[in-house]
Amino acid sequence: MMTTPRRRQAASALLALGAMLSAGACSVANSGPEPSSGGSSAASTVRIVLPEEPPTLEPCDASLTATGRVTRANITEALTERDPSSGQLQPALATEWKQDSPTEWTFTLRKDVKFHDGTAFDAKAAAFSIERTVGSKIDCNVNGYVFGGTKLTVTAPDATTLKVETAKPDPILPLRLSFVEIVPTTTNATAKVREPVGTGPYKIAKWDAGRSLRLEKFAGYWGKAPEFAAAEYVWRAEGSIRAAMVKSDEADIAVGLAPEDGAGDSAVQFPNNETSYLRIDATKPPLDDVRVRQAINYAIDKEGLVASVFAGLGKSAGQIVPAGVTGHSSAIQPWPYDMAQAKKLIAEAKADGVATGTAITIIGRNGIYPKAAESMEVVQNSLMEAGLSVKIQMLDVNAWLEYLLAPFPKDAGPTLLQAQHGNQAGDAAFTMGQIYGSKGAQSSYGTKELDELISAAEQASGEERQTAFAKALEYQNKEVVRDAVLAHMTGILALSKKVSYKPDAATNDEMRLVDIHPAG
Amino acid sequence: MLTFLRRRITSSAIPLVVVILGVFYLARLTGDPANLYLPLSATPEMRAEFAARHGFDQPLLVQFGDYLAQVFRLDFGESLRTAEPAADAVLRAFPATLQLAGATMILAILGAIVVGSWAAYRPNSLADRVASFTSTTAASMPDFWFAIMGVLVFAVALGWLPTSGTEGAAAWVLPVLTLLIRPFGVLVQVVRGAMVTALSAPYIKVARSKGAGELRVVFGHALRNAAPPALTVAGDLTVGLVNGAVVVETIFGWPGIGKLMITSILQRDFAVLQAAVLVTAITIFALNIIIDACYALLDSRVRQGVTA
Repeated sequence: MMTTPRRRQAASALLALGAMLSAGACSVANSGPEPSSGGSSAASTVRIVLPEEPPTLEPCDASLTATGRVTRANITEALTERDPSSGQLQPALATEWKQDSPTEWTFTLRKDVKFHDGTAFDAKAAAFSIERTVGSKIDCNVNGYVFGGTKLTVTAPDATTLKVETAKPDPILPLRLSFVEIVPTTTNATAKVREPVGTGPYKIAKWDAGRSLRLEKFAGYWGKAPEFAAAEYVWRAEGSIRAAMVKSDEADIAVGLAPEDGAGDSAVQFPNNETSYLRIDATKPPLDDVRVRQAINYAIDKEGLVASVFAGLGKSAGQIVPAGVTGHSSAIQPWPYDMAQAKKLIAEAKADGVATGTAITIIGRNGIYPKAAESMEVVQNSLMEAGLSVKIQMLDVNAWLEYLLAPFPKDAGPTLLQAQHGNQAGDAAFTMGQIYGSKGAQSSYGTKELDELISAAEQASGEERQTAFAKALEYQNKEVVRDAVLAHMTGILALSKKVSYKPDAATNDEMRLVDIHPAG
Repeated sequence: MLTFLRRRITSSAIPLVVVILGVFYLARLTGDPANLYLPLSATPEMRAEFAARHGFDQPLLVQFGDYLAQVFRLDFGESLRTAEPAADAVLRAFPATLQLAGATMILAILGAIVVGSWAAYRPNSLADRVASFTSTTAASMPDFWFAIMGVLVFAVALGWLPTSGTEGAAAWVLPVLTLLIRPFGVLVQVVRGAMVTALSAPYIKVARSKGAGELRVVFGHALRNAAPPALTVAGDLTVGLVNGAVVVETIFGWPGIGKLMITSILQRDFAVLQAAVLVTAITIFALNIIIDACYALLDSRVRQGVTA
């Protein structure tokens, strides 16, 4: 049968279209190993779905949630580690440590530890890792978050001894070093690395950027071997999809869920170490009057907020650090809901000439926690009922950061900033200075007395440290009233019936694969 | 034809420069990247060091000059977020979007030609009414709702398809269906309208009177004349998809350019944003030139008008 040129053209076009479709399908489909449904049937791979891809697995950025929850304690390890349940510092790559003088510490390191590349872990590697992280020129997040620009002098007298000298007394140096992940001396010291080598129980097998990350058990691990031979991470931005992946057996664990994501029976709640609060800009009227700040605290029904808006996930709070963090004061209770007292205080302030009618702006942040906008509407309603004039401005994270961090916008007027604070390190030193200190990066207001209390607490150690920070928090709550703390928040993850895992306060920042077990 | 193409390419260069300039300056209005890349407790010295290291302490004009010099060397800089070359991130994401957009538009166009022509063949018949109702519904469907419902029904309840991801042909079904539904609805309406007009034209009667078969009449004669308006709309829809199917890429975890651009904006990852916009803009200009060339091929009046 003869074919006309036109038919041949049409056939060619169709062939080309088909080839394009199949080429597209093949190239994406074959481009990377993603966890297949039922992938854990061999009980050898645990499949975890995260809200976002780790930007890098750089160990010196392990204080970033997206990086740390994959890297820390899985790929790399630190000299020490903090038990999130007890708050106690435990040995990791260092077996013991002692303070030789207020500024000098000696760490004894574990023997017979290998990096994934086969090289031996020793004091030189530890010293290199500390120098690479602290005061380095590669913008390490750990440097800013944990060390705040302090300088350390590190020496390695022998293979298992590390000496660290601080410029000024630092009673919590071993705790700070629990954030410094140890890497071999062959690691690039002048640029961040995406795929680090560590001593952890898992090593990187394949990172198919944009799609999946696979870790495999490190045969030469010094500690107790993990039960799963491999871990596969994928990432989905949409919470309901993460929850659906567990329901449809595409994942074993889904992280970072909200109540409305529909995890159903697979949902597991846990205290996530975050505390929601409103930062009161006490430098501008009417918020510069302490009675108005007290009234704001009385006017907010925190228990009602948790019960109705947060769907019962959380616990009304009176201070910014939860129990378990050094410095938490059991004497501080949530401010009681007392609208009559709030109205009385506002009326008194008004009678004394305070401009209580000045419009106050709540600077909210979309998605800072579930039902963020709704919770601010509840707060607005309460404050207006108490006699204040309040409006809401919800912002995305970038615009919101301009209000969170000093220097603050000058023409903003009086503001209440919707914020949330998580203390990963377990010591109030990582909270107080930056949030309540007069010169803190997140502080719009402080007092000389509170600065002195914070400074004294930072120098104290042991039980004295606990007492001193608790005293500073109590002073803030009673005399300064710089914020209205709302609730200690609760996180949700979804867990398939195939695995057993008990999330804790550190889960958001550090998900230890060795703590995940096959069910039954 | 070459003259036609040369003029089109020349006229596209000016908007391309405007896009490069606009993205560079607008990105820097979103704020200081140090706020995102350094911890909240970072000292002012650390912020100053960060700015100096990445050149953000320089006047904008100097930064722009450096950027242009880099672009001419085909160096798009390094991602602040992932510490990899920006070009790597873009060239990894863009093919994923192109494949998704290509598959979607091919299916949408083929489906719309069949359904639109079928509806136009007998206007106001039951088939026409069903096609019109279906296409109007499809064109009005919110894609995020369709995507989530698709996952709940086909992945969670029935277990027929994966919820998301890119592995295997089954993973393509929901993303392509979600992307397809609106262009399909719009194109059916356009094809139907154009075909109704074309099928009532005198040359169709002439073709029939000469004994041409109905398939040849519809697809050989009428469709060729009805193609230009459909091509215009299909071109616009394709450009929209190439620009990034953000909702679909976000919901289904599809590692495409739309999601990359949104992440880059939110993370103030200037190098990646600039590279992504540049590559996308060049592709869209190329796509427009191809569409114009198709016009010229379909209609000699266009060709002559341009080259005259």
